[in-house]
Amino acid sequence: MKVFRTMLKTELKLSLRGMDMFIFAICMPVVVTILLGIIYGNKPAFNGAEYTFLEQSFGAVTTIAICAGGVMGLPLVVSDYRHKKILKRFQVTPISPAMILTVQVVIYVIYSIASLLLIYCVATLFFDFHFIGSWLPFLGSYFLVIVSMFSIGMMVGGIASNIKTAGVIASILYFPMLIFSGATLPYEIMPTTLQKIADILPLTQGIKLLKSTSLNLMIDSVIIPIVLMSVITIICIGVALKFFKWE
Amino acid sequence: METIKINALCKAYGDVQAVNNVSLSVKHGEVFGLLGANGAGKSTTIECILGTKKFDRGQISILGMNPQTERKKLFERVGVQFQESKYQDKITVEELCELTQALYKQPSEYTELLKQFNLLNKCKSQVSELSGGQKQKLFIILALIPNPEVVFLDELTTGLDAKARRDVWKYLSNLKRKGLTIILTSHFMDEVETLCDKICILKKGTCIFYGTVKEAIAGSPFEKLEEAYLWYTDEEDFDYESI
Repeated sequence: MKVFRTMLKTELKLSLRGMDMFIFAICMPVVVTILLGIIYGNKPAFNGAEYTFLEQSFGAVTTIAICAGGVMGLPLVVSDYRHKKILKRFQVTPISPAMILTVQVVIYVIYSIASLLLIYCVATLFFDFHFIGSWLPFLGSYFLVIVSMFSIGMMVGGIASNIKTAGVIASILYFPMLIFSGATLPYEIMPTTLQKIADILPLTQGIKLLKSTSLNLMIDSVIIPIVLMSVITIICIGVALKFFKWE
Repeated sequence: METIKINALCKAYGDVQAVNNVSLSVKHGEVFGLLGANGAGKSTTIECILGTKKFDRGQISILGMNPQTERKKLFERVGVQFQESKYQDKITVEELCELTQALYKQPSEYTELLKQFNLLNKCKSQVSELSGGQKQKLFIILALIPNPEVVFLDELTTGLDAKARRDVWKYLSNLKRKGLTIILTSHFMDEVETLCDKICILKKGTCIFYGTVKEAIAGSPFEKLEEAYLWYTDEEDFDYESI
Protein backbone atom coordinates (compact mmCIF):
# COMPACT_ATOMS: atom_id res chain seq x y z
CA MET A 1 0.00 0.00 0.00
CA LYS A 2 2.86 2.37 0.77
CA VAL A 3 4.18 1.92 -2.77
CA PHE A 4 0.73 2.55 -4.20
CA ARG A 5 0.07 5.66 -2.10
CA THR A 6 3.42 7.30 -2.74
CA MET A 7 3.38 6.50 -6.42
CA LEU A 8 -0.18 7.72 -6.82
CA LYS A 9 0.60 10.98 -5.03
CA THR A 10 3.73 11.63 -7.10
CA GLU A 11 2.27 10.62 -10.45
CA LEU A 12 -0.90 12.64 -9.84
CA LYS A 13 1.20 15.72 -9.10
CA LEU A 14 3.25 15.13 -12.24
CA SER A 15 0.11 14.65 -14.31
CA LEU A 16 -1.40 17.90 -13.04
CA ARG A 17 1.90 19.68 -13.74
CA GLY A 18 1.63 18.38 -17.31
CA MET A 19 -1.72 20.22 -17.79
CA ASP A 20 -2.89 18.14 -20.84
CA MET A 21 -5.29 16.00 -18.87
CA PHE A 22 -6.55 18.97 -16.92
CA ILE A 23 -7.53 20.55 -20.23
CA PHE A 24 -8.92 17.46 -21.98
CA ALA A 25 -10.55 15.67 -19.07
CA ILE A 26 -11.59 18.51 -16.77
CA CYS A 27 -12.07 21.66 -18.86
CA MET A 28 -13.36 20.21 -22.11
CA PRO A 29 -16.41 18.35 -20.71
CA VAL A 30 -17.38 21.47 -18.77
CA VAL A 31 -17.08 23.58 -21.91
CA VAL A 32 -19.26 21.10 -23.84
CA THR A 33 -21.84 21.16 -21.03
CA ILE A 34 -21.91 24.96 -21.04
CA LEU A 35 -22.22 25.06 -24.85
CA LEU A 36 -25.06 22.54 -24.86
CA GLY A 37 -26.72 24.48 -22.06
CA ILE A 38 -26.42 27.79 -23.88
CA ILE A 39 -27.48 26.42 -27.27
CA TYR A 40 -30.37 24.21 -26.19
CA GLY A 41 -31.13 25.74 -22.81
CA ASN A 42 -33.66 23.54 -21.12
CA LYS A 43 -35.67 22.92 -24.25
CA PRO A 44 -37.15 19.45 -24.42
CA ALA A 45 -34.99 16.93 -26.27
CA PHE A 46 -37.67 16.64 -28.95
CA ASN A 47 -41.29 17.67 -29.27
CA GLY A 48 -43.21 16.08 -26.47
CA ALA A 49 -40.16 14.71 -24.67
CA GLU A 50 -40.31 14.59 -20.90
CA TYR A 51 -36.67 15.49 -20.52
CA THR A 52 -34.48 18.32 -21.79
CA PHE A 53 -31.78 18.14 -24.43
CA LEU A 54 -29.12 18.67 -21.79
CA GLU A 55 -30.54 15.88 -19.65
CA GLN A 56 -30.43 13.65 -22.67
CA SER A 57 -26.78 14.56 -23.33
CA PHE A 58 -25.61 14.26 -19.74
CA GLY A 59 -24.60 10.60 -19.94
CA ALA A 60 -22.65 11.17 -23.14
CA VAL A 61 -20.76 14.21 -21.84
CA THR A 62 -19.62 12.30 -18.74
CA THR A 63 -17.68 9.94 -21.01
CA ILE A 64 -15.47 12.66 -22.52
CA ALA A 65 -13.10 12.50 -19.57
CA ILE A 66 -13.14 8.70 -19.56
CA CYS A 67 -12.26 8.68 -23.22
CA ALA A 68 -9.53 11.32 -22.87
CA GLY A 69 -7.94 9.60 -19.90
CA GLY A 70 -8.42 5.99 -20.83
CA VAL A 71 -7.78 5.99 -24.53
CA MET A 72 -5.40 8.96 -24.82
CA GLY A 73 -3.72 9.72 -21.48
CA LEU A 74 -3.15 6.20 -20.23
CA PRO A 75 -1.48 4.68 -23.30
CA LEU A 76 0.63 7.78 -23.90
CA VAL A 77 2.01 7.98 -20.38
CA VAL A 78 2.85 4.27 -20.25
CA SER A 79 4.55 4.22 -23.65
CA ASP A 80 6.33 7.47 -22.85
CA TYR A 81 7.74 5.95 -19.65
CA ARG A 82 8.90 2.98 -21.64
CA HIS A 83 10.45 5.16 -24.33
CA LYS A 84 12.25 7.30 -21.76
CA LYS A 85 13.53 4.11 -20.08
CA ILE A 86 11.79 4.99 -16.85
CA LEU A 87 10.20 1.54 -16.94
CA LYS A 88 13.66 0.06 -17.35
CA ARG A 89 14.69 1.72 -14.11
CA PHE A 90 11.58 0.28 -12.47
CA GLN A 91 12.54 -3.12 -13.84
CA VAL A 92 15.55 -3.22 -11.52
CA THR A 93 13.38 -2.50 -8.48
CA PRO A 94 10.86 -4.82 -6.78
CA ILE A 95 7.79 -3.10 -8.30
CA SER A 96 5.41 -5.14 -10.49
CA PRO A 97 4.12 -4.02 -13.90
CA ALA A 98 0.56 -4.38 -12.60
CA MET A 99 1.28 -1.76 -9.92
CA ILE A 100 2.62 0.74 -12.47
CA LEU A 101 -0.47 0.27 -14.65
CA THR A 102 -2.87 0.34 -11.69
CA VAL A 103 -1.51 3.67 -10.44
CA GLN A 104 -2.04 5.26 -13.83
CA VAL A 105 -5.53 3.76 -14.12
CA VAL A 106 -6.49 5.17 -10.72
CA ILE A 107 -5.22 8.62 -11.72
CA TYR A 108 -7.47 8.67 -14.77
CA VAL A 109 -10.40 7.32 -12.76
CA ILE A 110 -9.91 10.28 -10.42
CA TYR A 111 -9.99 12.65 -13.40
CA SER A 112 -13.15 10.97 -14.71
CA ILE A 113 -15.00 11.17 -11.41
CA ALA A 114 -13.90 14.76 -10.88
CA SER A 115 -15.23 15.55 -14.33
CA LEU A 116 -18.55 13.78 -13.62
CA LEU A 117 -19.07 15.79 -10.43
CA LEU A 118 -18.09 19.02 -12.12
CA ILE A 119 -20.45 18.49 -15.06
CA TYR A 120 -23.26 17.60 -12.68
CA CYS A 121 -22.69 20.76 -10.63
CA VAL A 122 -22.41 23.05 -13.66
CA ALA A 123 -25.53 21.60 -15.29
CA THR A 124 -27.55 21.71 -12.08
CA LEU A 125 -26.45 25.18 -10.99
CA PHE A 126 -26.63 27.00 -14.30
CA PHE A 127 -28.96 25.10 -16.58
CA ASP A 128 -31.69 23.76 -14.32
CA PHE A 129 -30.59 20.18 -14.89
CA HIS A 130 -32.34 17.37 -13.06
CA PHE A 131 -31.02 13.87 -12.85
CA ILE A 132 -34.25 11.96 -13.40
CA GLY A 133 -32.79 8.49 -13.70
CA SER A 134 -31.63 6.13 -11.01
CA TRP A 135 -28.11 6.60 -9.70
CA LEU A 136 -27.20 2.99 -9.03
CA PRO A 137 -27.69 1.60 -12.55
CA PHE A 138 -26.18 4.82 -13.90
CA LEU A 139 -23.05 4.45 -11.81
CA GLY A 140 -22.89 0.78 -12.71
CA SER A 141 -22.93 1.66 -16.41
CA TYR A 142 -20.46 4.46 -15.79
CA PHE A 143 -18.11 2.00 -14.12
CA LEU A 144 -18.45 -0.45 -16.99
CA VAL A 145 -17.58 2.29 -19.50
CA ILE A 146 -14.51 3.23 -17.44
CA VAL A 147 -13.33 -0.36 -17.20
CA SER A 148 -13.78 -1.11 -20.89
CA MET A 149 -12.26 2.17 -22.16
CA PHE A 150 -9.31 1.91 -19.78
CA SER A 151 -8.63 -1.68 -20.73
CA ILE A 152 -8.28 -0.57 -24.34
CA GLY A 153 -5.81 2.09 -23.21
CA MET A 154 -3.88 -0.36 -21.07
CA MET A 155 -3.53 -2.71 -23.98
CA VAL A 156 -2.27 0.03 -26.31
CA GLY A 157 0.11 1.40 -23.66
CA GLY A 158 1.27 -2.06 -22.68
CA ILE A 159 2.25 -3.20 -26.15
CA ALA A 160 3.01 -0.11 -28.30
CA SER A 161 6.77 -0.01 -28.77
CA ASN A 162 7.12 3.75 -28.51
CA ILE A 163 5.19 6.92 -27.91
CA LYS A 164 4.76 7.52 -31.64
CA THR A 165 3.05 4.19 -32.26
CA ALA A 166 1.00 4.64 -29.12
CA GLY A 167 0.07 8.16 -30.24
CA VAL A 168 -1.09 6.96 -33.63
CA ILE A 169 -3.11 4.03 -32.26
CA ALA A 170 -4.56 6.22 -29.51
CA SER A 171 -5.61 8.88 -32.01
CA ILE A 172 -7.23 6.32 -34.30
CA LEU A 173 -9.27 5.09 -31.35
CA TYR A 174 -9.81 8.39 -29.57
CA PHE A 175 -11.02 10.85 -32.17
CA PRO A 176 -13.64 8.67 -33.92
CA MET A 177 -15.00 7.60 -30.56
CA LEU A 178 -15.05 11.12 -29.19
CA ILE A 179 -16.87 12.46 -32.23
CA PHE A 180 -19.06 9.63 -33.49
CA SER A 181 -20.11 7.77 -30.36
CA GLY A 182 -22.14 10.72 -29.14
CA ALA A 183 -19.74 11.98 -26.48
CA THR A 184 -19.39 15.43 -27.98
CA LEU A 185 -21.68 15.44 -31.03
CA PRO A 186 -25.13 14.29 -29.86
CA TYR A 187 -25.99 10.86 -31.30
CA GLU A 188 -29.57 11.99 -31.87
CA ILE A 189 -28.66 14.63 -34.44
CA MET A 190 -26.59 12.23 -36.58
CA PRO A 191 -28.00 10.80 -39.82
CA THR A 192 -29.19 7.21 -39.53
CA THR A 193 -26.33 5.80 -41.59
CA LEU A 194 -23.80 7.44 -39.32
CA GLN A 195 -25.68 6.14 -36.28
CA LYS A 196 -25.35 2.62 -37.66
CA ILE A 197 -21.59 3.00 -38.09
CA ALA A 198 -21.30 4.58 -34.65
CA ASP A 199 -23.06 1.58 -33.14
CA ILE A 200 -19.93 -0.52 -33.76
CA LEU A 201 -17.87 1.62 -31.37
CA PRO A 202 -17.89 0.26 -27.83
CA LEU A 203 -18.29 3.76 -26.42
CA THR A 204 -21.56 4.18 -28.32
CA GLN A 205 -22.94 1.15 -26.53
CA GLY A 206 -21.72 2.53 -23.21
CA ILE A 207 -23.33 5.89 -23.85
CA LYS A 208 -26.63 4.18 -24.69
CA LEU A 209 -26.52 2.48 -21.30
CA LEU A 210 -25.68 5.76 -19.56
CA LYS A 211 -28.42 7.60 -21.41
CA SER A 212 -31.13 5.11 -20.59
CA THR A 213 -30.12 4.88 -16.94
CA SER A 214 -29.88 8.64 -16.55
CA LEU A 215 -33.28 9.18 -18.17
CA ASN A 216 -35.02 6.10 -16.80
CA LEU A 217 -35.73 4.84 -20.30
CA MET A 218 -36.20 1.32 -21.47
CA ILE A 219 -33.76 0.23 -24.12
CA ASP A 220 -34.13 -2.67 -26.47
CA SER A 221 -31.41 -4.71 -24.96
CA VAL A 222 -29.13 -4.21 -22.00
CA ILE A 223 -27.41 -7.50 -22.51
CA ILE A 224 -25.65 -6.72 -25.81
CA PRO A 225 -23.81 -3.58 -24.61
CA ILE A 226 -22.88 -5.20 -21.30
CA VAL A 227 -21.56 -8.39 -22.89
CA LEU A 228 -19.74 -6.50 -25.64
CA MET A 229 -17.98 -4.21 -23.21
CA SER A 230 -17.12 -6.98 -20.78
CA VAL A 231 -15.57 -9.09 -23.53
CA ILE A 232 -13.48 -6.13 -24.73
CA THR A 233 -12.33 -5.51 -21.18
CA ILE A 234 -11.23 -9.07 -20.52
CA ILE A 235 -9.40 -9.43 -23.83
CA CYS A 236 -7.61 -6.09 -23.54
CA ILE A 237 -6.47 -6.52 -19.93
CA GLY A 238 -5.28 -10.03 -20.73
CA VAL A 239 -3.24 -8.81 -23.69
CA ALA A 240 -1.87 -5.84 -21.71
CA LEU A 241 -0.52 -7.96 -18.87
CA LYS A 242 0.66 -10.84 -21.05
CA PHE A 243 2.62 -8.70 -23.48
CA PHE A 244 3.79 -5.97 -21.13
CA LYS A 245 7.21 -4.73 -22.20
CA TRP A 246 9.63 -2.91 -19.91
CA GLU A 247 11.69 -1.62 -22.79
CA MET B 1 30.19 -18.08 -1.16
CA GLU B 2 30.15 -15.89 -4.25
CA THR B 3 27.74 -12.98 -4.33
CA ILE B 4 27.78 -12.86 -8.11
CA LYS B 5 28.65 -15.70 -10.40
CA ILE B 6 28.70 -15.38 -14.18
CA ASN B 7 29.58 -18.34 -16.29
CA ALA B 8 30.37 -18.17 -20.03
CA LEU B 9 28.06 -15.25 -20.83
CA CYS B 10 27.47 -14.61 -24.54
CA LYS B 11 25.40 -11.92 -26.17
CA ALA B 12 25.32 -10.86 -29.82
CA TYR B 13 23.58 -8.00 -31.61
CA GLY B 14 23.11 -9.40 -35.10
CA ASP B 15 26.60 -10.21 -36.33
CA VAL B 16 28.39 -8.28 -33.60
CA GLN B 17 29.46 -10.33 -30.61
CA ALA B 18 28.92 -7.77 -27.83
CA VAL B 19 29.82 -10.13 -24.98
CA ASN B 20 31.90 -13.19 -25.72
CA ASN B 21 32.23 -16.00 -23.22
CA VAL B 22 32.72 -13.77 -20.16
CA SER B 23 32.99 -15.49 -16.79
CA LEU B 24 33.52 -13.76 -13.50
CA SER B 25 32.81 -14.11 -9.82
CA VAL B 26 32.54 -11.48 -7.14
CA LYS B 27 32.79 -12.30 -3.44
CA HIS B 28 30.85 -10.69 -0.62
CA GLY B 29 32.23 -7.23 0.21
CA GLU B 30 34.40 -7.02 -2.88
CA VAL B 31 34.58 -4.12 -5.32
CA PHE B 32 34.72 -5.38 -8.87
CA GLY B 33 35.65 -3.14 -11.79
CA LEU B 34 34.56 -3.78 -15.35
CA LEU B 35 36.92 -1.88 -17.65
CA GLY B 36 37.18 -1.33 -21.37
CA ALA B 37 36.82 1.31 -24.07
CA ASN B 38 33.45 2.69 -25.13
CA GLY B 39 31.61 -0.08 -26.92
CA ALA B 40 33.74 -2.84 -25.38
CA GLY B 41 30.64 -4.46 -23.90
CA LYS B 42 30.64 -3.21 -20.30
CA SER B 43 27.08 -1.91 -20.21
CA THR B 44 25.75 -4.88 -22.17
CA THR B 45 27.42 -7.23 -19.69
CA ILE B 46 25.86 -5.38 -16.76
CA GLU B 47 22.43 -5.36 -18.39
CA CYS B 48 22.61 -9.08 -19.09
CA ILE B 49 23.60 -9.69 -15.47
CA LEU B 50 20.63 -7.60 -14.27
CA GLY B 51 18.20 -9.30 -16.63
CA THR B 52 17.24 -6.11 -18.50
CA LYS B 53 18.80 -7.63 -21.64
CA LYS B 54 18.30 -11.18 -22.79
CA PHE B 55 21.54 -13.07 -23.36
CA ASP B 56 22.22 -15.91 -25.76
CA ARG B 57 24.17 -18.31 -23.56
CA GLY B 58 25.62 -18.60 -20.06
CA GLN B 59 24.57 -18.76 -16.42
CA ILE B 60 24.04 -15.85 -14.07
CA SER B 61 23.36 -15.80 -10.38
CA ILE B 62 23.24 -12.84 -7.99
CA LEU B 63 22.91 -13.62 -4.28
CA GLY B 64 22.04 -17.14 -5.37
CA MET B 65 19.09 -15.95 -7.44
CA ASN B 66 18.27 -15.83 -11.12
CA PRO B 67 17.62 -12.18 -12.04
CA GLN B 68 15.08 -13.07 -14.71
CA THR B 69 12.87 -15.39 -12.72
CA GLU B 70 13.33 -13.96 -9.21
CA ARG B 71 13.27 -10.29 -10.16
CA LYS B 72 11.09 -8.92 -7.36
CA LYS B 73 12.91 -10.75 -4.57
CA LEU B 74 16.35 -9.97 -5.94
CA PHE B 75 15.93 -6.24 -6.47
CA GLU B 76 14.81 -5.79 -2.88
CA ARG B 77 18.54 -6.36 -2.12
CA VAL B 78 20.26 -4.93 -5.19
CA GLY B 79 20.71 -1.27 -6.17
CA VAL B 80 21.36 -0.16 -9.73
CA GLN B 81 22.62 3.02 -11.36
CA PHE B 82 22.39 2.88 -15.14
CA GLN B 83 24.75 4.77 -17.41
CA GLU B 84 21.96 6.99 -18.70
CA SER B 85 19.42 7.37 -15.99
CA LYS B 86 16.03 8.67 -16.91
CA TYR B 87 13.29 10.21 -14.83
CA GLN B 88 9.74 11.49 -15.21
CA ASP B 89 9.19 14.94 -16.72
CA LYS B 90 8.96 17.75 -14.17
CA ILE B 91 9.72 15.47 -11.20
CA THR B 92 11.61 17.03 -8.29
CA VAL B 93 14.60 15.56 -6.46
CA GLU B 94 12.55 14.96 -3.35
CA GLU B 95 9.68 13.28 -5.24
CA LEU B 96 12.04 10.98 -7.09
CA CYS B 97 13.78 9.98 -3.86
CA GLU B 98 10.51 9.52 -2.00
CA LEU B 99 9.09 7.37 -4.80
CA THR B 100 12.23 5.24 -4.93
CA GLN B 101 12.25 4.84 -1.16
CA ALA B 102 8.63 3.65 -1.20
CA LEU B 103 9.50 0.74 -3.49
CA TYR B 104 11.58 -1.05 -0.85
CA LYS B 105 10.84 -2.83 2.40
CA GLN B 106 13.84 -1.60 4.37
CA PRO B 107 15.21 1.47 2.61
CA SER B 108 17.77 4.00 3.85
CA GLU B 109 16.58 7.48 4.71
CA TYR B 110 17.07 9.51 1.55
CA THR B 111 17.49 12.84 3.35
CA GLU B 112 20.55 11.36 5.05
CA LEU B 113 22.00 10.36 1.66
CA LEU B 114 21.20 13.75 0.12
CA LYS B 115 23.02 15.39 3.01
CA GLN B 116 26.07 13.12 2.60
CA PHE B 117 26.24 13.96 -1.10
CA ASN B 118 25.60 17.70 -0.60
CA LEU B 119 22.29 17.72 -2.44
CA LEU B 120 19.91 18.45 0.42
CA ASN B 121 19.46 22.07 -0.70
CA LYS B 122 18.30 20.79 -4.12
CA CYS B 123 15.34 18.85 -2.65
CA LYS B 124 12.69 21.05 -4.25
CA SER B 125 14.45 21.49 -7.59
CA GLN B 126 13.33 19.61 -10.65
CA VAL B 127 15.77 16.87 -11.60
CA SER B 128 16.04 18.32 -15.11
CA GLU B 129 17.44 21.55 -13.63
CA LEU B 130 20.38 19.83 -11.92
CA SER B 131 23.87 20.00 -13.39
CA GLY B 132 25.39 16.86 -14.91
CA GLY B 133 27.41 16.14 -11.79
CA GLN B 134 24.47 16.70 -9.47
CA LYS B 135 22.33 14.33 -11.52
CA GLN B 136 25.09 11.72 -11.39
CA LYS B 137 25.24 12.03 -7.60
CA LEU B 138 21.46 11.79 -7.39
CA PHE B 139 21.42 8.55 -9.36
CA ILE B 140 24.13 7.08 -7.14
CA ILE B 141 21.88 8.00 -4.20
CA LEU B 142 18.91 6.27 -5.85
CA ALA B 143 21.00 3.12 -6.21
CA LEU B 144 21.83 3.26 -2.50
CA ILE B 145 18.32 4.00 -1.21
CA PRO B 146 17.31 0.29 -1.15
CA ASN B 147 20.02 -0.24 1.46
CA PRO B 148 21.40 -2.87 -0.89
CA GLU B 149 23.75 -5.79 -0.35
CA VAL B 150 24.98 -5.45 -3.93
CA VAL B 151 25.15 -2.29 -5.99
CA PHE B 152 25.76 -1.90 -9.72
CA LEU B 153 27.21 1.46 -10.78
CA ASP B 154 27.63 2.01 -14.51
CA GLU B 155 30.13 4.82 -15.16
CA LEU B 156 30.33 5.73 -11.53
CA THR B 157 31.83 9.20 -11.52
CA THR B 158 31.51 10.41 -15.11
CA GLY B 159 30.69 14.12 -15.00
CA LEU B 160 31.74 14.65 -11.39
CA ASP B 161 34.30 17.26 -10.32
CA ALA B 162 37.46 16.23 -8.45
CA LYS B 163 36.05 16.95 -5.01
CA ALA B 164 32.77 15.13 -5.67
CA ARG B 165 34.65 12.09 -6.99
CA ARG B 166 36.69 11.92 -3.79
CA ASP B 167 33.51 12.20 -1.73
CA VAL B 168 31.87 9.36 -3.66
CA TRP B 169 34.98 7.18 -3.26
CA LYS B 170 35.08 7.83 0.47
CA TYR B 171 31.41 7.04 0.85
CA LEU B 172 31.64 3.81 -1.15
CA SER B 173 34.77 2.70 0.73
CA ASN B 174 32.81 3.13 3.94
CA LEU B 175 29.93 1.03 2.65
CA LYS B 176 32.40 -1.57 1.44
CA ARG B 177 33.80 -1.88 4.95
CA LYS B 178 30.25 -2.58 6.09
CA GLY B 179 30.04 -5.47 3.62
CA LEU B 180 28.53 -3.91 0.49
CA THR B 181 29.47 -5.67 -2.73
CA ILE B 182 30.05 -3.23 -5.61
CA ILE B 183 30.25 -3.80 -9.36
CA LEU B 184 31.28 -0.71 -11.25
CA THR B 185 32.41 0.38 -14.65
CA SER B 186 34.75 3.33 -14.97
CA HIS B 187 37.04 5.11 -17.37
CA PHE B 188 39.17 6.56 -14.58
CA MET B 189 42.09 4.36 -13.64
CA ASP B 190 42.87 6.31 -10.45
CA GLU B 191 39.36 5.50 -9.32
CA VAL B 192 39.78 1.84 -10.19
CA GLU B 193 43.11 1.71 -8.31
CA THR B 194 41.56 3.30 -5.25
CA LEU B 195 38.37 1.28 -5.10
CA CYS B 196 38.63 -2.04 -6.92
CA ASP B 197 39.80 -5.34 -5.50
CA LYS B 198 39.46 -7.16 -8.76
CA ILE B 199 39.08 -6.05 -12.36
CA CYS B 200 38.09 -7.47 -15.70
CA ILE B 201 39.24 -5.71 -18.86
CA LEU B 202 36.95 -6.18 -21.83
CA LYS B 203 37.93 -5.69 -25.44
CA LYS B 204 35.31 -6.24 -28.13
CA GLY B 205 33.27 -8.27 -25.72
CA THR B 206 36.09 -10.62 -24.73
CA CYS B 207 37.78 -10.63 -21.34
CA ILE B 208 41.49 -9.94 -21.94
CA PHE B 209 42.53 -9.56 -18.32
CA TYR B 210 40.98 -10.87 -15.13
CA GLY B 211 42.56 -10.47 -11.70
CA THR B 212 43.61 -7.94 -9.07
CA VAL B 213 44.88 -4.44 -9.84
CA LYS B 214 48.35 -5.51 -8.58
CA GLU B 215 48.38 -8.50 -10.89
CA ALA B 216 47.37 -6.28 -13.78
CA ILE B 217 50.33 -3.98 -13.19
CA ALA B 218 52.75 -6.84 -12.51
CA GLY B 219 51.74 -8.58 -15.72
CA SER B 220 52.61 -5.52 -17.78
CA PRO B 221 55.91 -3.69 -18.33
CA PHE B 222 54.52 -0.58 -16.58
CA GLU B 223 54.11 0.70 -13.05
CA LYS B 224 50.80 2.52 -13.28
CA LEU B 225 47.42 0.93 -13.93
CA GLU B 226 46.56 3.43 -16.63
CA GLU B 227 49.60 2.49 -18.71
CA ALA B 228 49.10 -1.18 -17.99
CA TYR B 229 45.47 -0.90 -19.04
CA LEU B 230 46.39 0.74 -22.34
CA TRP B 231 49.04 -1.90 -22.87
CA TYR B 232 46.48 -4.68 -22.34
CA THR B 233 43.93 -3.12 -24.60
CA ASP B 234 46.70 -2.20 -27.05
CA GLU B 235 45.20 1.21 -27.54
CA GLU B 236 48.01 3.56 -26.56
CA ASP B 237 48.90 4.54 -30.11
CA PHE B 238 45.56 5.24 -31.62
CA ASP B 239 42.76 5.45 -29.14
CA TYR B 240 42.66 7.73 -26.12
CA GLU B 241 38.94 7.85 -25.65
CA SER B 242 39.15 5.43 -22.77
CA ILE B 243 41.09 7.91 -20.67
